[in-house]
Amino acid sequence: MKFRGLRLLAAVGAAYALFYLFNVDKTVLALHKSGAVLAKILPIFLLVIGFTALINYLLKPKEIASHLGEGSGVKGWAIALTAGIISHGPMYAWYPMVEDLKRHGLKNGLIATFFYARSIKIPLLPIMIDYFGFAFTAILTFYILAASVIQGLLIDWLCRKCND
Amino acid sequence: MKRNDEGLSFGKALKQAMMGLVSMMPMILAVIGLVGLFQTFVTKEMLASLFTGDPVKDTLIGTVAGGIAVGQALISYILGGELLEQGISMYAVTAFILAWVTLGVVQLPAEAEVLGVRFTVYRNILAFVSTLLVSIATVWTLGVFG
Repeated sequence: MKFRGLRLLAAVGAAYALFYLFNVDKTVLALHKSGAVLAKILPIFLLVIGFTALINYLLKPKEIASHLGEGSGVKGWAIALTAGIISHGPMYAWYPMVEDLKRHGLKNGLIATFFYARSIKIPLLPIMIDYFGFAFTAILTFYILAASVIQGLLIDWLCRKCND
Repeated sequence: MKRNDEGLSFGKALKQAMMGLVSMMPMILAVIGLVGLFQTFVTKEMLASLFTGDPVKDTLIGTVAGGIAVGQALISYILGGELLEQGISMYAVTAFILAWVTLGVVQLPAEAEVLGVRFTVYRNILAFVSTLLVSIATVWTLGVFG
């Protein structure tokens, strides 16, 4: 198995070592905070593994491409928007699934749409309404949905050679 | 275990998915490590102190600050509410809370590794511009119809 990001991990380890030399307490606190983040997103990883396995089990690569590939049309945008809105946890937790789907034909525009639509957090909507009002939340949500699709279309146009 | 039309059992699909995640673990751990560093060394107070009171400048600052910040979206709402009370414009606060969830400096290296440098650059530039435009459009619409 080929591990990805070993150099990045080494660089972050070196950064911790450097910070440790200057501020032991804060660096230990940073390590604790990282541990807390990891513990919090472990269930998301299980979800990602489950989703990826289910998709690969239930859909053939050709079917994935027809739902999320170049010719997916309105259905593809609707799936990307819905998936973005209902997905939980940080963006990077979803990279393994996105990479897997991309190998099976997921188009770049839908990835951009999925990532931007993730800014709509359904469980947090009542809190947003409480802080900023219903009208603000409704208008912002509408514009986020529109911006997600526009970004996807622009990425598809800009990224014609991104996979080269 | 039952197999699908391609002869792939669910157990094998599960194993493949798990291996995919495990192979990406060093990268994910690196991002989580960066999140811990940012949460500790870039405090809420530091972010709040960046705002100047000028609506145009603050909208840009809000987008940049939100892109640098890491953590639960809920924290951005609380901080956004405090900024509004301090008299910071709604444009800037909207840009801040939106950039908090749409942009992420800490995950850029991982995104580039997984999805390619060109895609990552395009997507993040578009997300930055979209965040500015959505913030302006939201507050403007709210002013017209609210």
